[in-house]
Amino acid sequence: MADVVPAEEFVELAEGRVHVLRGGAGEPVLFLHAAGGAGVWHPFHQLLAEAGFTVLAPDHPGFGKSDDFPAAEAVDDLVYHYLDVLDALGLSRPHVVGGSFGGWIAAELAVHSPHRVGSLTLLSAAGLRIPEHPVTDLFLLSPDKLVATLFHEPPPPPPPLPPGAQPDLDAILAGYREATSLARFCWAPFLSNPKLERRLGRITAPTLVVAPSDDRLIPVEHARRYAERIPGARYAEVADCGHAMYFERPAEFASTVTAFLNAHPLATAESGVSR
Amino acid sequence: MKFSFFHLMPYPYLPDDFDEKYASSALTYPNANFSPELGSALYARYLDELEYADKLGFDGVAVNEHHQSAYGLMPSPNLMAAALTRRTSRARIMVLGNAIGIRGNPLRVAEEIAMLDLMSGGRVDSGFVRGIGWEYFAHSVNPVKSRSRFNEAHDLIIKAWTSPEMFSWYGENYEYRYVNLWPRPVQQPHPPIYIPGAGSSETMKFCAERKHTYMSVYAPTRIVRRWFDGYREAAAELGYEPDPERIAFSVPIYVADTDEKAHAEARPALEWLYRKGLKQTPEMVTPPGYMSPGSLRGVLSSGMRPFGGASYEDLLAQGQAVVGSPASVADRLGSLYAELGGFGQLIGLFAIGPSTHEQVMRSAELFATEVMPVLRPLGVMTANPQASA
Repeated sequence: MADVVPAEEFVELAEGRVHVLRGGAGEPVLFLHAAGGAGVWHPFHQLLAEAGFTVLAPDHPGFGKSDDFPAAEAVDDLVYHYLDVLDALGLSRPHVVGGSFGGWIAAELAVHSPHRVGSLTLLSAAGLRIPEHPVTDLFLLSPDKLVATLFHEPPPPPPPLPPGAQPDLDAILAGYREATSLARFCWAPFLSNPKLERRLGRITAPTLVVAPSDDRLIPVEHARRYAERIPGARYAEVADCGHAMYFERPAEFASTVTAFLNAHPLATAESGVSR
Repeated sequence: MKFSFFHLMPYPYLPDDFDEKYASSALTYPNANFSPELGSALYARYLDELEYADKLGFDGVAVNEHHQSAYGLMPSPNLMAAALTRRTSRARIMVLGNAIGIRGNPLRVAEEIAMLDLMSGGRVDSGFVRGIGWEYFAHSVNPVKSRSRFNEAHDLIIKAWTSPEMFSWYGENYEYRYVNLWPRPVQQPHPPIYIPGAGSSETMKFCAERKHTYMSVYAPTRIVRRWFDGYREAAAELGYEPDPERIAFSVPIYVADTDEKAHAEARPALEWLYRKGLKQTPEMVTPPGYMSPGSLRGVLSSGMRPFGGASYEDLLAQGQAVVGSPASVADRLGSLYAELGGFGQLIGLFAIGPSTHEQVMRSAELFATEVMPVLRPLGVMTANPQASA
């Protein structure tokens, strides 16, 4: 399986197109990306695919190459959006893995439609409101402070632009579009649904909650709270890692997640791998 | 030309280590640095200055709204306007403006402006602003909704002022089952509307369609020229030439008896305004969704730079401040009038940062007595194509 090559496709919904990267063969894994990383086939995706799964990685509304879906303005709209995506992809009950912002969507999906989630993996998921452990306001962080917040060991900063060079306006605008999309769903309440915590008991899927040991964005108490409230959830930590998680330690995250997925195979009649 | 005396009501007492220690004078600048005793004295002083401007013959006295900031101490401009209704008699009372993009209840704004209009005998001008970037953090309002909330609140307020009967309102952001304004404003059909623009083509079109006054914010002359031209072009596309009075140029002004004295006194005040008062991070200026992609592209490609990078000499050369003796100020404003393609209102910021009360009073007095008469004939409509406005 080491030669997995991802394919790019678009799912047509009534209100727009969803960009999906698909790679690998095996049980389907719907991967819901974090605020960063849309539209990119990442080493983490590759490792999951090579471990024997079909990884389906859509871009959220207003992210990557997906359309804006302007009518979607809160996380409940994203739940309905992803129910549509599951239907369009022919997935009745896939594994669902979500990181950070995408982890919040995954948790909401599993609360709303427990029967559509074969297993649930939350990677330092947003979504809970824990006032005594607030989430850092990433919207107020400068780019260098954001990197310092996201990584346990921040990578060196990019070299400054040579004098006279113009910044890449298209890249700036693409980044602003994604920040705008994130803000649309999570400005206030900030990255959370105050009702979510008391609904987590509805989740029926086997659940793994993973936290990086050094999360400076979403305090590790959020992952612990998810693990406490979701019936039967398992909890794991990845050492020496920041909120960038699978960007910082893709191999460790992939092995933790694939071990869990392998331990909880989908009932084949239910997995709904239709193509 | 009409002249107004605009006040930000700054809190000038920043600590010596402000530059190194704080990213901004707003949002996260600790309110432990605010002294209620000094603040109380400032309010008294600043209201005195606005009242003096009325006596000097300024056509308007202007206040505005800012939150959680030493840059401007007026979270509620309507309170200051209310105080002015009782202590001024001639000048327009200009609220420039209420930040209806961040208000939770725009009907309250309609009510308060109607009250002010009654209290002032029909002297109120009603500006509407979206609220600047940091205020979307400060009041926890989604900046993605900024324009939608602004537009809807604007429409609701105007309808509330003008509707002769009760109505219901079902909008994207607001719902009211009973809108039935008591009291209604004096001015008919409603108080004049002012909208500041900072390069957004949406705002130019919005103002031109409604014949609202379009006012500039502080920016280099070549950029303000582009904004005023954009407003004039939007009007032309609608088939009319705007009355110059609908275009308001806003600029800090400092006048003293001589050029030397004026520059010596204005330099620290303007450096405070642009380097400390307006010190912000890019994240505070442009929270996500606050600008449309087209407007952001326009701003990024226009070469507009953060204020802090400009020297005092740059600010003067770029028309972001006008300083000098009465003759020099009149001369400079005359040339800015030409460079900007004309305007019919001049909104001067006379109380700049840490200027003293005596400096501000003298500056306003010299301006009123020696500069206004020179500029008064400019910016007046000669023909009258906007009679229907």
